Amino acid sequence: MTQDRYTGVGLGLRRPHLELVAQMEGHGVPFWETCPENVIGDGGNHHRLACAILDRDPVLTHGLTISVGGFDAWDEDYLHDLGDFLIRTETPWHSEHLCFTSVDANCLHELLPLPFTREAMRHTIARVRELQARLPVPLLLENITYYAELGAAEMDEADFITGVLEGADVGWLLDVNNVYVNALNFGFDPKEWLARMPLDRVAQLHIAGHKKFGAITVDTHGAEVIDPVIELMQWTLRRLGRPVPVLLERDNHIPDLEILLAERARLQRAYDGAMTVSGVRHV
Amino acid sequence: MASLVLDEDEAALAEDPGRAARRQGLTLADQQSFRDQSEGMMTYRELARMSLIEPLETMFPILKSLLETAARWDDCIQAFLDARVVKSGQYRDIAPAFLGWLVSSGWGQDRWPFLLELAHAEILEVLVARFPDADPPTGIHAEPRPEDLVVLDAATQIVSYTHAVHRVSEASPIPDAQPTHLIAFRTEAGEARLMELTPATAALLVQAQARPLAEAASSLSLPDLAPVLVLLRDLHRDGAIAGFQTFT
Repeated sequence: MTQDRYTGVGLGLRRPHLELVAQMEGHGVPFWETCPENVIGDGGNHHRLACAILDRDPVLTHGLTISVGGFDAWDEDYLHDLGDFLIRTETPWHSEHLCFTSVDANCLHELLPLPFTREAMRHTIARVRELQARLPVPLLLENITYYAELGAAEMDEADFITGVLEGADVGWLLDVNNVYVNALNFGFDPKEWLARMPLDRVAQLHIAGHKKFGAITVDTHGAEVIDPVIELMQWTLRRLGRPVPVLLERDNHIPDLEILLAERARLQRAYDGAMTVSGVRHV
Repeated sequence: MASLVLDEDEAALAEDPGRAARRQGLTLADQQSFRDQSEGMMTYRELARMSLIEPLETMFPILKSLLETAARWDDCIQAFLDARVVKSGQYRDIAPAFLGWLVSSGWGQDRWPFLLELAHAEILEVLVARFPDADPPTGIHAEPRPEDLVVLDAATQIVSYTHAVHRVSEASPIPDAQPTHLIAFRTEAGEARLMELTPATAALLVQAQARPLAEAASSLSLPDLAPVLVLLRDLHRDGAIAGFQTFT
């Protein structure tokens, strides 16, 4: 049922586009992704528009600041509100990042990498299980970009992610741009990396643009997706052999909706091409 | 990690990230790892600081202009980061956290006594525009009577400043010392509006939330209630007043 409703390439629902999207019924976007932090507890005109769209169209939810691998206590009030929001939107799952975002109850509003150690893995698995128990829908974890390993590593990123996903028994939101950016920064082959991973756990893909600053490439979500990342998305879809939904993220230098819809359509063609090659039928 | 990305001493971090790791009690191997990845560590510093500073630059452009003129904006931001007061995971809460820190710390207010008012005025309309939606109060009616209480819309704020902070600009950020009374409210369409009030009207709107209109007007030496009722009807029509309640 989920696969029927959530296939193809969706878009992140962003504030500058709310008015136009609310007026468009035939926008062609199969689903939107929304960040609950931007909707819960908000009010006013933009909030009403966002709620109207979320009540009308299929939605996936994607959190920004739950410190999954951190040490701070859960914000129980927020988790309660989040649970209500997930039920209201009828999202089939909710995703968070495999990272930490707060230290000593201070939110840094940045996705910070967990140490690739056995201790961090055990701690994170326990935290993910706790979080999953508090949510009314299955939890997915997203692989992040990282620009430095936090301390001396006991394993590589692939083993750390695999260990957490399997230890906590949760699904994977696979961000192919993050894999591509990490491959650039740490000098590995993204396809070889993906071939090692538990792809049977992938329920959704993310795709986005990035930018190079000095020697480091940063996952900016501020530019068009480049062809090698689209090709990596297609390779992944063929490898998966099933039509998981792909979400185009754009959070900086947000263009007019028309431009973003055109980029989504281009990605949809690439998606359809990959599905045709792998012989997968999707609705 | 918070210390690494938020503390002031960027030069020391750039010179030796391993020292920052040592200060946190990390192992020699961890210190070496930090040392080997100094560019990545500096990237995190830049990204995290940008995430916290950008909303302040967006929400407080006039305050930023004022402090930049005196070369104090960076000091203000660093003092804010040092205070570690951003607790909420909601991005829109960063600017109110900054305002709360200005209140509690008093930063800069010996030199600029209007600084807090200026910062408050800069985000007043946004706070009102994005005030959480709530069900309207019950037991109210639309037509004001002398014996009624005023029930403001939940998003409405009545504010009194000692300076005309609503008239400043980035080019001219220093306000005149002039008592100023404003009502900020949200229209039916969800947009924020700002209206200047006379001192008496501001006082009436505050007092009439707790005592009958006629009594509040009398205490403020407003003998003629008719123009007051006209104003209240207008504010109700525009969304600032939710309604009127029989005083019991």
